[in-house]
Amino acid sequence: MYELNICYLYPDLLNLYGDRGNITALQRRCQWRNIEANVHHISIGDTLKYEDYDIFFIGGGQDFEQTIIQDDLRDGKREEIIEAVQAGKVFLGICGGFQLLGKYYKTSSGKEIECLGAINVWTHAGDTRLIGNIVFEVDFLKNNNQKYRVVGFENHAGKTYLGEGVKPLGKVIKGFGNNGEDGFEGAVYKNTFCTYSHGSLLPKNPALADHLIMLALLNKYPDFQGLTPLDDTLENLAHESLMKRFTE
Amino acid sequence: MKEFFIKFRLGLAIIITKLTVFGLRIVGRGGTSLPGKIALRICPDIFNRLSDRFRIIMVTGTNGKTTTSRIIEGMLQKAGLEYISNKSGANLASGIATTLISALSLTGKPIVRTALLETDEAAFRTLAPKLKPEIVIVTNFFRDQLDRFGELYTTLNSVREGIQGSPESRLILNADDSLCASLGQDTSNPVIYFGLGDKVYPEDYLIANADAAFCINCKSRYEYLSSSFAHLGHFKCPNCGYERPTAQIECTQVLEYDNLSSTIEIQMPGGKIAVKLAIPGLYNIYNALAGAAVGHMLDLKEEDLVYVLEGFECGFGRMETLSVNGRELKLILVKNPTGFNQVLKYLMTQKDKCVIGFAINDKLADGTDISWLWDVDFEILSFMQEKVRRFFVSGIRAEDMAVRLKYAGIPSDHIFIMHGETELVYSLLEASNENETIYLLPTYTAMLDIRKSLKKRFNLKEIWE
Ligand SMILES: [Zn+2]
Repeated sequence: MYELNICYLYPDLLNLYGDRGNITALQRRCQWRNIEANVHHISIGDTLKYEDYDIFFIGGGQDFEQTIIQDDLRDGKREEIIEAVQAGKVFLGICGGFQLLGKYYKTSSGKEIECLGAINVWTHAGDTRLIGNIVFEVDFLKNNNQKYRVVGFENHAGKTYLGEGVKPLGKVIKGFGNNGEDGFEGAVYKNTFCTYSHGSLLPKNPALADHLIMLALLNKYPDFQGLTPLDDTLENLAHESLMKRFTE
Repeated sequence: MKEFFIKFRLGLAIIITKLTVFGLRIVGRGGTSLPGKIALRICPDIFNRLSDRFRIIMVTGTNGKTTTSRIIEGMLQKAGLEYISNKSGANLASGIATTLISALSLTGKPIVRTALLETDEAAFRTLAPKLKPEIVIVTNFFRDQLDRFGELYTTLNSVREGIQGSPESRLILNADDSLCASLGQDTSNPVIYFGLGDKVYPEDYLIANADAAFCINCKSRYEYLSSSFAHLGHFKCPNCGYERPTAQIECTQVLEYDNLSSTIEIQMPGGKIAVKLAIPGLYNIYNALAGAAVGHMLDLKEEDLVYVLEGFECGFGRMETLSVNGRELKLILVKNPTGFNQVLKYLMTQKDKCVIGFAINDKLADGTDISWLWDVDFEILSFMQEKVRRFFVSGIRAEDMAVRLKYAGIPSDHIFIMHGETELVYSLLEASNENETIYLLPTYTAMLDIRKSLKKRFNLKEIWE
């Protein structure tokens, strides 16, 4: 039996906008295929050893909570997270988690707050919040030979820019994306995937959820043959109804 | 001369506002915000001008504002005070201006002296310093539609600033909510706290989804002696010592608790009272305590407090029981994770078989982001599957809700997507047997749609307030 260990970073602090739905989606979609998926909560004061996990998740938090984790990250977790990214572990960072994995966050007063520096992106505070439903097209996911469109909801004040070596996750069809300027959304570096699309990203976009699961299984079991398809009627209905509403 | 103009503008604002209200009524509309908007345009400092004409009570906080306000109305009536109050949909500056002006004579004299104002948390920041309320009740702070309010701590600080601008106000605060209780720290305002006694309602502490697990002063993780729900409970910070304050109004025992009512014992400053609340749900115990605190401030006798609390039944939408084609239909508004979780826990107290419907919209008044559905513990519904055969979902976000239920462990073939509220109600009626209760849980605008449909298609008489 295949087994995946999922590391949910700071679930009690970084859990805005239904982020845990993504963990639920990963876990359920494994269970339905008889793949064991264990979720481990790693928070303040816990030790993190990146080798123990196959998938990492970090979500967004409010300013109050973000400041709490700064010290804790300096206490050893930062190096482990960078190692995990470099080693090609599957990593999903959303909203605040996306920003945190980057190099720095520049506040409106011009102060640069150092972030983890795990991927080559950086964020500048914007003067308006970029809020609303978002649809973006992802090259590496296919749906009936067409590029897969991810649907979600974004809500961020920071504008994120990608540096060398980092590719966008997708092209914005509707919404703002990383910065509301260059038409791109999210970031991909090795097996690390970042996006501003928070909340129920994975449940509603099962192709993306399965892509992450498959990469993690391939990492761990090089002879892995591929995922068995699931009955995604409800997921597809949700996906299609929103796609229709937002792109037609 | 300047004073004359200010008075003139106030008078003009009053007259025009009254004319607007009158005009809207003639054309058959009951608008509450437009008249106030006009008044504020004509006389921007109208609140400062009106504050000393009224004895003002303001109710704010995330959940329970409306229910608490209705309980307070009972207290005011019992105390023999004539009052005006605003409707829950009119809790911003404009609605409050309309409400206050409606209680003035054409010459600006107050017709009634007491004003009970349910106030939006963000609006409270600027309104409280101007209105200088005599009493302020803050129910609690939970995450609520973050796309509208910004962060939870921003909301808390709005209320804090409002209170700082009104240092004479007597505060009634939730002791069990570390965020709400913090409003009573380092303040000169007199404070009364309400809360549940230690281990009165013991429950597992679900830290993973808590809104405030870390100390507001020093950011250490709180320790809990016991908890009631979400982040409410007997918290203590091991580092700086900030802890749940002593509650002067405390529920010391829950004697009975089911899906219709709860019987509780309340320790008041003057002694203990036992009350049978006709409104179920733990969250309503908190609302009752807040109401009792106001009764105490109004010097009501204990038997009067009991009379008001026992006689109270739910108002518009929070939870009401309707009879539709011979079936009992319970309509319960859902609007944020904590409130929704409480409703689900209430459903768990249901002993017999029942049918459940959800109607989820994502219009502005519902919150345009429905990600919060993933913060609701629908997982507990999987324990109800013997009692609930089918789950119906409708609304603009019906499919999202269906997916949420599936991932909560409900088999796909038990989930039915309905198109429109009329089809939803028909299906619920069809799916239920004679003795089965129908629970229908809509978001705000979905509730309005359902009411419209019930009125039109099911011949339900006037169900508006
Ligand atoms: Zn502390």
